[in-house]
Amino acid sequence: MSAGFLLIHARPGRVWSFALSWLLFAAGIGAYLWVSHARHLDNPEDRVTPTLTQMAKGMYGAVMRSAEEDEPTADDAGFRTRLTHSMLWKDTCASGRRFFYALALLIPAVILGLHMGLFPYVGQFFLRFVLFFDKIIALSLLPILFIAFGIDELSKVMLIVIGVTPTIILDTFNLTRGVPGEQVVKAFTLGAGDFDVAYRVVLRQIAPRVLNSIRLNLKAVMLFLFAGEMIASTDGLAYRIALLRRHMGMDVIIPYVLWVALLLFLVDFGMRLLNRTLHPWFEEA
Amino acid sequence: MAMPLIQIESVFVAYGNPPRAVLAGIDLEIEEGSFVCLLGQTGCGKSTLLRLVLGSERPLRGRILIDGREHHQPDSTRGYVPQRYALFPDRTVLDNITFGPEVSEFGLAGRLRPAFYRRRKELRDEAFHYLRRIGLRESDASKYPHQLSGGMQQRVAIAQALINRPRILLMDEAFSALDSGTRREMQSLVRELWKSTGTTLLFVTHNIDEALRLGTRVVVLAREAPELGSRIAMDLAVPDPCAQEDIPSLMDRLERVSCPAEAGGTVTLSV
Ligand SMILES: Nc1ncnc2c1ncn2[C@@H]1O[C@H](COP(=O)(O)OP(=O)(O)OP(=O)(O)O)[C@@H](O)[C@H]1O
Ligand SMILES: [Mg+2]
Repeated sequence: MSAGFLLIHARPGRVWSFALSWLLFAAGIGAYLWVSHARHLDNPEDRVTPTLTQMAKGMYGAVMRSAEEDEPTADDAGFRTRLTHSMLWKDTCASGRRFFYALALLIPAVILGLHMGLFPYVGQFFLRFVLFFDKIIALSLLPILFIAFGIDELSKVMLIVIGVTPTIILDTFNLTRGVPGEQVVKAFTLGAGDFDVAYRVVLRQIAPRVLNSIRLNLKAVMLFLFAGEMIASTDGLAYRIALLRRHMGMDVIIPYVLWVALLLFLVDFGMRLLNRTLHPWFEEA
Repeated sequence: MAMPLIQIESVFVAYGNPPRAVLAGIDLEIEEGSFVCLLGQTGCGKSTLLRLVLGSERPLRGRILIDGREHHQPDSTRGYVPQRYALFPDRTVLDNITFGPEVSEFGLAGRLRPAFYRRRKELRDEAFHYLRRIGLRESDASKYPHQLSGGMQQRVAIAQALINRPRILLMDEAFSALDSGTRREMQSLVRELWKSTGTTLLFVTHNIDEALRLGTRVVVLAREAPELGSRIAMDLAVPDPCAQEDIPSLMDRLERVSCPAEAGGTVTLSV
């Protein structure tokens, strides 16, 4: 170790890097188990820090049994039917559906941002309004949305859309503006028309960055989704978490939280993979 | 005599607030088939003049006629090789070269027709022909621009502009980032392509030697005083081919007009 430990020029080996990167995970899990164990020694009925077996049991129930508000599945039903009628399945589908609706509604946002950046009249028409809209705190609109759209799916999807689209529009707008003017002029000199330039030159170039921007905003999408579900919903992952809080159902809440994190990670990872395969020319992905 | 291909009539351009003149009263007529090199100090408005001819910018006063008509936006009669961002980074070399014909023959929905794919095969063959002509290997065809060296990128950019057979080709300091060896190669390539295609070339450069080697005509832009816009300080017809022994004297003359302050010896030092 010529360059000292913890200094800028230190070069940790493979084993060290691996061990260090997992250390905090191990410490967190260890601390939890220790606290949980201590509390259970104190009070065997403790519900705040369920043990691993309790969580596994709670999760097994969530995966294998239907939600309280539904018809219970027959005990002799097959694994598949039980899984597809289970609480976790139902909640994941409900949240996932809203999530993907919201993602689909980001596509028009990207198109709008692109046009605003390229066509001066479109830009003038929308820019000020979108800038204004961007400053509105979407959550403060929640009551208005519930009054205007009712408390069903539409208001929840609208909450996500209102919360996230201005960011995506403005980001796409800026990315579009960032494309060097030479590229646009050049495309015209090669015989391209306005829409060729928009879709074949500019959109293709900004696509990987737009995708990255959407990836960064996934968290915001989830945030608005959870807010909507916690306040007014009859299913969904956040609804379940809010509901179980009333019963102090930590044995299910903790696995649910981890499950949501895993799902989000997988979506993000999938988009990264997609970005890499679709845009091999893009280096900084 | 036939009408000149490009007519620049008392063009005036100013930028900024308060406006500062960049070009003040440029008059220039360019015949079809000529190779015009545009010289001048940095910031004297050479790129601006190219942008005016392209039509991506309009003059404050005066007008620019191409074939007797004004053009308000760039189109395929004028090819362009910019100094930077010359290639589409998201397309391979081959797709960069075929982009022009593809996009001018087929609209956005045209890609859905089978004719597009037949035509694309032909275009690819033609692109390979150009690729060999600019001295790239076939294996370079599937590379992306960032995988090429600067010189290779410039070559591809030239091929990309030439495959469309523009009547006018505008090149903005296309070789300024190249080493002298590659530069020589590129110069002879451009010269040869110009001879064989008959395009009218408008070539911006900083390099007087390059201008004399390449052009049939050298135009120098210069400011008479720092606060004034540039004018045409010299318009020189270069004998073709330029005799080697003439070059030093011509260079000397050009140098004197393009840097009047230094040549005039009026530089005073404040103590
Ligand atoms: N869009 C613009 N807004 C304001 N000023 C500009 C703009 N474009 C060019 N200028 C100014 O106009 C002058 C000429 O610019 P131009 O790019 O034409 O110079 P150039 O002769 O090509 O220089 P170089 O040899 O360094 O490329 C410069 O002083 C520049 O600051
Ligand atoms: Mg320039």
